[in-house]
Amino acid sequence: MGSIRQTLAGAHVLLTGVTGFLGKVWLSHVLWDLPEIGRVTVIVRDRDGQSARERVEAALDTSPAFRPLRARHGDAWAAWASARIEVLAGDCAAPLCGLTEAEVARLARSADAVLHCAGLTDFEPEPAQAIACNVRAAEHAADLAACLRVPRLIQVSTCYVAGNGSREVPEALEHGTSPAGEPFDPEVELAALEEAAAEATPRDRVEAGAARARTLGWPNLYTFSKALAEHRLGARHDVAALVVRPSVIECAWRYPFAGWNEGLNTAGPLAWLLSSPFRGLWARPSNRFDVVPVDLVARGLTLALTAALNGAAGEVWQLGSSTRNPFTFERAIELNGLAYRKYTRDRTNALDGFLRHLDPLPAPASKGVGTVPWLARMARRVERAVGGPDPERLLPPALRRYLAPPVRTAQERAHASVKGARRMLGRVDRMLELYRPFTHDNDWGFRTDHVAAATAALDEAERVTFGFDVEGLDWRSYWVDIEYPGLRTWTFPLLHGRDAPCDPPSDPPLRLEAPAARAEEVA
Amino acid sequence: MTTARPAAFFRLEGTLVARPTLAAAAWLAANAWRVRERVVRLGATAAALPLAFGPLQDHALANRVAWAGLRGVSADRLHVLGEEYAERFLCGATDPAAARLLRECGEQGFVTVLVTDNLDVVARPVADHLGIDVLVSNRLELREGRATGRLADPVLGAHLDGAWARRLAEEHGLDLRSSRAYGAREADSVLLGAVGNPCTVHPDRRLRRIARQLDWPIVEA
Repeated sequence: MGSIRQTLAGAHVLLTGVTGFLGKVWLSHVLWDLPEIGRVTVIVRDRDGQSARERVEAALDTSPAFRPLRARHGDAWAAWASARIEVLAGDCAAPLCGLTEAEVARLARSADAVLHCAGLTDFEPEPAQAIACNVRAAEHAADLAACLRVPRLIQVSTCYVAGNGSREVPEALEHGTSPAGEPFDPEVELAALEEAAAEATPRDRVEAGAARARTLGWPNLYTFSKALAEHRLGARHDVAALVVRPSVIECAWRYPFAGWNEGLNTAGPLAWLLSSPFRGLWARPSNRFDVVPVDLVARGLTLALTAALNGAAGEVWQLGSSTRNPFTFERAIELNGLAYRKYTRDRTNALDGFLRHLDPLPAPASKGVGTVPWLARMARRVERAVGGPDPERLLPPALRRYLAPPVRTAQERAHASVKGARRMLGRVDRMLELYRPFTHDNDWGFRTDHVAAATAALDEAERVTFGFDVEGLDWRSYWVDIEYPGLRTWTFPLLHGRDAPCDPPSDPPLRLEAPAARAEEVA
Repeated sequence: MTTARPAAFFRLEGTLVARPTLAAAAWLAANAWRVRERVVRLGATAAALPLAFGPLQDHALANRVAWAGLRGVSADRLHVLGEEYAERFLCGATDPAAARLLRECGEQGFVTVLVTDNLDVVARPVADHLGIDVLVSNRLELREGRATGRLADPVLGAHLDGAWARRLAEEHGLDLRSSRAYGAREADSVLLGAVGNPCTVHPDRRLRRIARQLDWPIVEA
């Protein structure tokens, strides 16, 4: 693999998914570390009354992902970004990502590759959404890439397309067989998913899609739909596709700054749950929790892009930690408890004081004091006990008239509150069930040979800036000093129904250069 | 050839902070991961008490027994809780007179050396907080990320001999004759005797007697 700087200097990349967590960090990283890049054309949907341009401008202006760039360029940031970022309104769910023929023709003359980061990461999406956002969108991105001078596509997938089964997962696509060992035809499965999408109620549709995924051996519809996309791209010969599979993408390690996160991701709800009275998480202690910081994934994407521009095609690159720097659930759960202690040390309420001294533990499924099923059983018993007795019958006749109404009111309140708690436990139980394949049932080790070889091939200076150095990650310091406080700042507010903080907009708000001026410049 | 520099040795226990080392061992044992572990581990710490304060007064052995109670505790827990212990119970509880002496030694160009029989995970945050140059402490052996329960050699007890001070001086290029040492307990007397300028800070009864006999300065708040 050649030098990253030499390869990407002046390069023109089409990027989807820039409004997502990974897309933002990759764009910011490449503008920070590779200012010599030619241009990044971002394809973004209009959404919630905001145009694509306004959405990108808002991100460049207020997203913490671009904080280092705003600090570096100051008042010149808008002009500097305008010279490198082009915004096109589009939609990956539409043919050619929703671009006009004229736009495609123009891009085809200068663009070097399509980096397709857009996707749906819900574990339990509606089948129609999963097909549109994860399967068709990948095909549309490939169609767009096929129009380029040299048709190159970098498709962002997930390591978990490997499906169920504890094993060392190679960097390869297994054609024709599902993880359950069944013959697997992507066409037939797409048709089956479209059938599931036609069910009457949302619940039936989601359940039908998830059931099909589970039958074939995938943990959920998200991983199944990503696998379908990989299989569909693998069958194409009109585009040189390179599939990049990150594992669990989490808070930034170093860039844009330690701890930055956006959205819920995977560890957020688990860390939040273990910061609540739940003390037992369904997890097999020795199973590996394959976490990788978002900035390392961004570096991996840059390495893969460089490899693609240097002719690599048909490869699968996994970006994970489980084989080079394994991190077990036992360690993650203990560190989470320790981090909780550290960041609630100043709190004085009794519950925090109690929880601080009662660490969360890995628990075998459906057993153990403090686990969700145990708490749900207790809540059911309390609910029955509270709701059962009739004060009219229990109280002596002389007191009924005076005491029965207040007792009944208190009883109804207590009953409603326990019922609410039981419902919440039901939701948590459902969430843990979704996580169970990842925390309990499977122990995956994802090989990362491609990215390791690409890192080793870099010279010293480039290795420091672009190397995928997951071996250097100290999990204790990462989890306690970076990940947990990052989740507390950027993710926990979302779980409490609040907005995550963002940076204040500049005054006047950032505006990218008008398209007319750009057209002249391009001409 | 470089010139040997003068050092200022400060004993942590007694001189800078009042809490004994065994309190840290007990606190770490009481904060083990699982609740039932805590009882067993605290038992080991309790077994160390007669060794430290009974007729034997073998602090090195007491340390070995107390820290053996932490066998199987993860390095993660030791580090994070060690830091918590230091911040909660030690950093904010330094004796003002000893802290002033430490500050003055630093300003006068002495290499400041913190000597403790506590664990490195507890002593390191204290050393950082106090701006110490060299930390000499005990360390638990680790295997696969967990404590074996054994202290790594050489084990520091309460008593430190002159040979130990000479080895340290050689290692760090220190001149013991122009160095200072500050101690509070009788057990520190050997360390104090090994340097040119010994000083006692709130000495216990026995050290006070020795200080008077040898004409060592006595600092009180």
